[in-house]
Amino acid sequence: MSSDAVAITGFVALFVLMLLRVPVGVAMGLVGVCGFGYLAGFQPALKIVAQSPIRTATDAGFGVIPMFLLMGALASTSGMSRELFRAANTFLGHLRGGLGIATIAACGGFAAICGSSVATAATFSAVAYPEMRRYNYPQSFATGVIAAGGTLGIMIPPSVVLAVYGIITQQDIGKLFVAGIVPGLVAVGMYMATISLIGWAKPGFLPAGPRSSWRERLAAVREIWAVALLFIFVIGGLYGGLFTATEAAGMGAGGAYVIAILRKKLDRKQLLTCLVDSVRTTASVFTILMGALIFGYFLTITQTPQKVTEFLTGLGLGTYGVLLVIMLMYLLLGCVMDAMAMIILTIPIVFPVIVALGFDPIWFGVIIVMTVELGLIHPPVGMNVFVIKSVVKDVKISTIFLGVIPFVVTDILRLGVLIAFPILATWLPSKM
Amino acid sequence: AQAQDKPVQLKLSHWVPPTHPLQKAMEDWADSVKKASNGTITSTIFPSQQLGKAFDHYDMARDGIADLTYINPGYQPGRFPVIAAGELPFLMSNAKGGSVAIDEWYRKYAAKEMKDVKFCLAFVHDPGSLHSRKKVVVPADVRGMKIRPAHATMAELVTQLGGTNVQSSAPEVRDILEKGVADAVSFPWGSILLFGIDKVTKYHIDVPLYATTFTFVFNKTRYDQMSAAQKKVIDDHCTSEWAGRIAGPWSDFEHDGIQKLKNDPNHEVYPLTPDQVAQWRKVTEPLQATWAANVRKAGLDPEATMAEFRAALAKHRAAY
Amino acid sequence: MNRGRVDRFIDGIEVTAACFLAVVTALTFVSVFLRYFFNWTIPDTYDFSALLLGILVFWGIAVANYRGDHITVDLVWSVAGRRGKRALDILAALVTLVVMLTFTWMVGTKVVSVRADNVLTYDLRLPVWMFYLVAWAGLAASMVLLTVRTLRLVFRPDLVDTRVHVTPLE
Ligand code: NA
Ligand code: NA
Repeated sequence: MSSDAVAITGFVALFVLMLLRVPVGVAMGLVGVCGFGYLAGFQPALKIVAQSPIRTATDAGFGVIPMFLLMGALASTSGMSRELFRAANTFLGHLRGGLGIATIAACGGFAAICGSSVATAATFSAVAYPEMRRYNYPQSFATGVIAAGGTLGIMIPPSVVLAVYGIITQQDIGKLFVAGIVPGLVAVGMYMATISLIGWAKPGFLPAGPRSSWRERLAAVREIWAVALLFIFVIGGLYGGLFTATEAAGMGAGGAYVIAILRKKLDRKQLLTCLVDSVRTTASVFTILMGALIFGYFLTITQTPQKVTEFLTGLGLGTYGVLLVIMLMYLLLGCVMDAMAMIILTIPIVFPVIVALGFDPIWFGVIIVMTVELGLIHPPVGMNVFVIKSVVKDVKISTIFLGVIPFVVTDILRLGVLIAFPILATWLPSKM
Repeated sequence: AQAQDKPVQLKLSHWVPPTHPLQKAMEDWADSVKKASNGTITSTIFPSQQLGKAFDHYDMARDGIADLTYINPGYQPGRFPVIAAGELPFLMSNAKGGSVAIDEWYRKYAAKEMKDVKFCLAFVHDPGSLHSRKKVVVPADVRGMKIRPAHATMAELVTQLGGTNVQSSAPEVRDILEKGVADAVSFPWGSILLFGIDKVTKYHIDVPLYATTFTFVFNKTRYDQMSAAQKKVIDDHCTSEWAGRIAGPWSDFEHDGIQKLKNDPNHEVYPLTPDQVAQWRKVTEPLQATWAANVRKAGLDPEATMAEFRAALAKHRAAY
Repeated sequence: MNRGRVDRFIDGIEVTAACFLAVVTALTFVSVFLRYFFNWTIPDTYDFSALLLGILVFWGIAVANYRGDHITVDLVWSVAGRRGKRALDILAALVTLVVMLTFTWMVGTKVVSVRADNVLTYDLRLPVWMFYLVAWAGLAASMVLLTVRTLRLVFRPDLVDTRVHVTPLE
């Protein structure tokens, strides 16, 4: 078999194994070893198994992943999400669809300390959904808002997805994080506008709450100073060059812990739960990372990335034509695959294409996150939707997907905006 | 080589970017091998850690993950004690003679120290120096500083002078200096510009403070499988002469960096007075002792080994 | 092994891995303060954080193996019938077991070779193989558990939870 045929066979085998529900990382590792072994000998292939995973696991730069996860877990457990929601509600609750708008604002605030989209969605399913139901918001709308708001978790820094992208493509994680700030704020603005538009277009569909007094507002703001401080500390430190991404993660997690302890919002048992959850999530991310690296060595010796680059750039579709093809591929993959697995699997192949086309790697990181965000909420597989379903038991999956539709439209619009105006993502990091 | 020799495809692996002079050197090596073997030995070069991490390149050649790899033995403290002689400060004045010298000298020790692979050749880069954010003149200035060492021997010097070591791969050095994770880096000169470290450092000591050793090593099984004629081609490309050829262009590249930084008004490149050099020499003496102890542990006579090395350096006009 | 004992064992692994995460975080946190306020770095901070991260990841993988935390594509599984689900579960578990056993075996050989090669940390010159060994111990322990899980899946499926677990990844 030619190395091309081996590469194609490898991809087919990988997809078959994944469809048979073999864990994604395990499938990638297995196919990688077999492919490498077939082409270069099985003894060397097994030696890769001895060497590569432990080298990956002991790469100090990867410390960002568990520590940013821990930061989010601590912030959520110590009640920061609830306080954010309450504060946002005192300012925005009186608007039409005010609780929804407040949910988006609070998701945005929480995203500033939590690097995970699914964790953001899970947190607000517990915090905001009961409130919205109490004020007779429709089920589909309430869950749709939370699913969309949750996606802010990976756009607004810190972001586990951007960190993994940075690690794989060797881009500066700090710059990637800072690049997400403006697009994240644009997302918050567009989601809020979408809710207002829904409220205006369908009178009586969304209620408005009572207006809060300034005294209440000030009291609520006093509650969230800690979150604001932590965000400014972590992202400011990263922006200002005070510490590396790994250190920022450590400072963030440590800071969240200190704040929770000072405010007596965390007992030992909760701390342990946060740590255990972060470790378990870290392990599943690393399993895919390790598998993907082994699969990557197999692809490297078949020279697939170079060939794909040559193929795509030789199609004569033009720069944006190829970009469109890539994004469509992501949307398709997003129908069946988990976002993290998707990124880790495809970036080694797609990234060289993007670089060859002359796109900015930092900008593309933001674009990838937005595409993946879409995958988190669009059917049939939408991780955020599933997570909401697992917290809110009495709602049908189809109801959530219905509620998500307006936000999917908004997301696609926003993607267009970011492609038309890359400066939205590249300006802030260029000032670092 | 004969025409009936079985075609062999080699995987050559290194861990620096394809813009680095080493890429060109490896291409030249591969082209020459191809020509000498009448096209029966062809190679593909995998740069930028595509086949494995920098630290693993020795193991990769040993295990057959790649066939020929470029390694920095000093990345793994304790593993290759003998060749560490090439890392000792103030021993070597230039890389061209130094490379031929270290290759000639190390060949017989490689048979034992790098016994899991077929040793191909050894070389050094043009002597590097200390590049920092705040001015360092005498060894005492290092106390309390955080330094990214080039290899294990420099790391030991840093510890001994009361500094601490910060590790990072070459591409990350700029980042850690920018963020104050490190205050200084021991680095060769041209690479300061290649990796953008000139943007984050200001002070550079103009002395050949240290060198770094490198080797090319070859997978044994792959070598054994070749025909006698093909083996000869590989042998002919694993010589002291080739060590000098590999090191040459890179050495020029690094050496040119000194003048470039001197010409830049934002940088201060300063020589040391004989008295200051003496101070540095004095503090680096314990490194020789440590090296000797490690070599003795490996079952060799350090005095004789070092005397041979110095003789080789003198012979090729590379002694400091 | 009865269920209670297995669960206590896996809880122990989980808590140990969690402690390693706490240590890595504390080390990072403290070292930043030491740097800015005392201009000092704990020797081998870099090696320690990296090696402890490796330990927590490998021990975490042990937990993930047993708890079924791994990311899977559930498309076919979710539409399959009861028997189809069971067949897929067993197949996936067997593949995972074989892959993980190979992985554990190969990492074991790595521990041995790193010891023979005398690889040391940068500042304190501590042997690296000891850290690798601790990481490997987590994998080895999980192999026992994964075998238990797979056997149960084949013979006592009532004891194993194979539902879709939603883990916050993105
Ligand atoms: Na975030
Ligand atoms: Na989807």
